[in-house]
Amino acid sequence: MKHIVYLSRAVRPLSDQDLQELLAQCRRDNARNGITGILFYSHGNIAQLFEGEDVVAETLFDKIAQDGRHSHVQKLIDRPISHRSFADWHMAFHPIEPAGFEALQGFLLPQHVPAPPETLSIADATLVELVRLAVFGPAAAAPDTATPA
Amino acid sequence: MQEQHLQDILRRLPAGVATLEGPELRYSFVNEAFARLLNAGELLGRTVAEVPGPWPADLLGVMQQVYRTGLGHVAKACPLCDDPTARDEGVYYDVTLEPICAADGTVSGLLLFVVDVTVQEQARQRTHELAIETRRLDARLRVLSETAPQITFTIDAAGRCEYVSPQWYFFTGQPRTSDLNAIWPLLIHPDDRLRVLYQSEAARNSGTGWSYEYRLRRHDGQYRWMLSRALPELHTAATPPLHWHGALTEIHDQRELAEALRRGEAELRFLADSIPELIWTASAEGFVEYYNQYTGDYSGLTTAELGPTGWINLLHPDEQAGAARQWVHSVATGEEYEGVFRMRRHDGRYRWHIIRARQLTDGQGPRWFGACTDVDDQHRLRQVLQTQYDELAQANRDLDTFVYTASHDLKQPVLNLRGLFDELRRTATFHDPEKTQMLVMVDEALTQLDLTLQELAATVRDQRGLSAPVEELDVRHVAEEVLLGLRVQVQQSGAEIELDTDEAPLLTYGRANLRSVLHNLISNALKFAHPDRTPHVQIRSFRTADGHPGLQVQDNGLGMVLPDEPAAVFQPFTRQHPHIGGSGVGLYLVQRIVSSRGGRLEVESTVGEGTTFTIYWEEGTAADHV
Ligand SMILES: Cc1cc2nc3c(=O)[nH]c(=O)nc-3n(C[C@H](O)[C@H](O)[C@H](O)COP(=O)(O)O)c2cc1C
Repeated sequence: MKHIVYLSRAVRPLSDQDLQELLAQCRRDNARNGITGILFYSHGNIAQLFEGEDVVAETLFDKIAQDGRHSHVQKLIDRPISHRSFADWHMAFHPIEPAGFEALQGFLLPQHVPAPPETLSIADATLVELVRLAVFGPAAAAPDTATPA
Repeated sequence: MQEQHLQDILRRLPAGVATLEGPELRYSFVNEAFARLLNAGELLGRTVAEVPGPWPADLLGVMQQVYRTGLGHVAKACPLCDDPTARDEGVYYDVTLEPICAADGTVSGLLLFVVDVTVQEQARQRTHELAIETRRLDARLRVLSETAPQITFTIDAAGRCEYVSPQWYFFTGQPRTSDLNAIWPLLIHPDDRLRVLYQSEAARNSGTGWSYEYRLRRHDGQYRWMLSRALPELHTAATPPLHWHGALTEIHDQRELAEALRRGEAELRFLADSIPELIWTASAEGFVEYYNQYTGDYSGLTTAELGPTGWINLLHPDEQAGAARQWVHSVATGEEYEGVFRMRRHDGRYRWHIIRARQLTDGQGPRWFGACTDVDDQHRLRQVLQTQYDELAQANRDLDTFVYTASHDLKQPVLNLRGLFDELRRTATFHDPEKTQMLVMVDEALTQLDLTLQELAATVRDQRGLSAPVEELDVRHVAEEVLLGLRVQVQQSGAEIELDTDEAPLLTYGRANLRSVLHNLISNALKFAHPDRTPHVQIRSFRTADGHPGLQVQDNGLGMVLPDEPAAVFQPFTRQHPHIGGSGVGLYLVQRIVSSRGGRLEVESTVGEGTTFTIYWEEGTAADHV
């Protein structure tokens, strides 16, 4: 198994509709392919960590890297792991119309993203913190300590 | 029949046909197209002059002239402007005027033949306009291509130059008459020539454009870097292009600049790589992009293995979380980063480093520049110095104690001496007055001795703060301070220290006194540790049954033989274990301090098992002494 982290820029801003479609497609395909992790999106900035079996993860990265919706895909790490740190796949962004999103499976408001899992090494957890910072900026980046249940 | 047939054809002809008779030019035949054209009702029998028609005014004159002279005329592309529909649409006609001659050859009338040439005329006009536009574009293109700083060119599929803008001659200094195709390749730098010819040909063969750089000889003989870019002129996708148009831009200065930057960067890297210090740069987002050579040497890891946040892995596990948190904070705020951490070397040893990083903005935007400086030797030196300092401080304290004790212990003998002397002076008589004088001198000497002893004791007491006023003390706090001072001994002996002050956390006492007591008892416990087991020292602040505070220090060390006379343990210079260093005054001092403040010191010990000291701070006889 391995995990991969990358940063990228959307070619044009993604609408609520675009994001919702991406969320639905990724939830479906990732569940099928045993891919878990988290994706951050804000103002055209994209970052994603995903984990899965080597071949699956590599194939997915190649596919994502060629996706025309974004460019400047910069792989930050690509490393073997002994166990998963994420139970599921989530996507965190600020919808323009948040009303319908809260109930969506796999959706998170950026301020509700939990701190990186303990199972990640401190160096990798720091990487996740930094990509979160890079995507959402310092104001929204602080992990939500008072997440309502 | 024939005649009828002909008339029919004439009538339906799409061109206008009419005949005019007599010098007054009266209509004698009009076909349908003509009648439509004039749109003036019945024409037959009326003169041309009566029906104004759409003719240009001068055509009437021309008709009369044809009639007179018998010479035909064709008026080309006449706008028949009185036709309301024709006017709007810009309809044009060729009007042919032919004389009709009688048998005798004299002119008896005119034949009018009017053909709609609008389409032809429009095409002609368009062609004309296009020609003008083309000339205009051509002029514009020429001005542009001749004033732009670039050299522009057109090359055919065989690679022959069809056009080159005058800048080429200006740049190369070649005469206008020179054979472009022969000379151009010769002006390319020999090192670039083959490559350029190959690249150009490859592009032409594949029908694509090109973009490459090469050096071209300038008029002054200098080779200058040029960027050649060209695109094929494509008309349809199916046919291969016949021409390539392009521009040649001088990029020498940019290239030099880029080269200088590259060199500068390379020099910096070289510099960074030759420094025996861990150096790295990170993006504005905090991802390390470059580690210098030494980082690899030190850690034994490659840049890829380290990764964008891999330096954190090098830190001591206890320090990683704090260092990482601090780094995320710095990246979020742009604040400088600084910390002292242990970093793992390739052999697994940790060495102390100061890690510093600053965000600076260079040509490529903000970046982080970091350095990890090895301060391990300084750190160790400091520890050695600290140990030496602690030892010196201890010796100093011991000496003070010695002086204090000595002065105290000499007090009694002096007192006795004084008593004996007074007795002597009272009972003895001297006949020699000089001897009496001696008595006075001895008296003075004794007084002096007494005073000196008192001052000695007072000086030590004041210096050590043993006579300082009491205050409310946090026992745990003071004990931790003392342990900090003894941390080297604690570390070296690997002792486990247990500190429990819950029962009596506070004590009203002299601060220096409490510190001195704790210091002596704990350092004793560490000093007389049993070599076969981990030293275990329990420090407990407690209360007696009647509520008085006490302190117990218990160890599992060598233990000692307690003499029958318990006080002996506390005699100065009594050393239970001669092989272990120390002046032997520590316990004596503890006892003096405790008893001088009205307390009591007890000891229990079993050889080979350990010793327990118990202090009752307030009990004893001299409570009023405090
Ligand atoms: C930013 C971004 C992240 C993506 N993440 C995933 C993902 O986690 N899982 C996934 O299956 N597809 C992801 N995709 C979509 C893939 O690039 C691709 O469009 C999708 O897998 C469908 O590919 P296919 O039609 O070739 O099967 C992502 C696309 C973008 C632009």
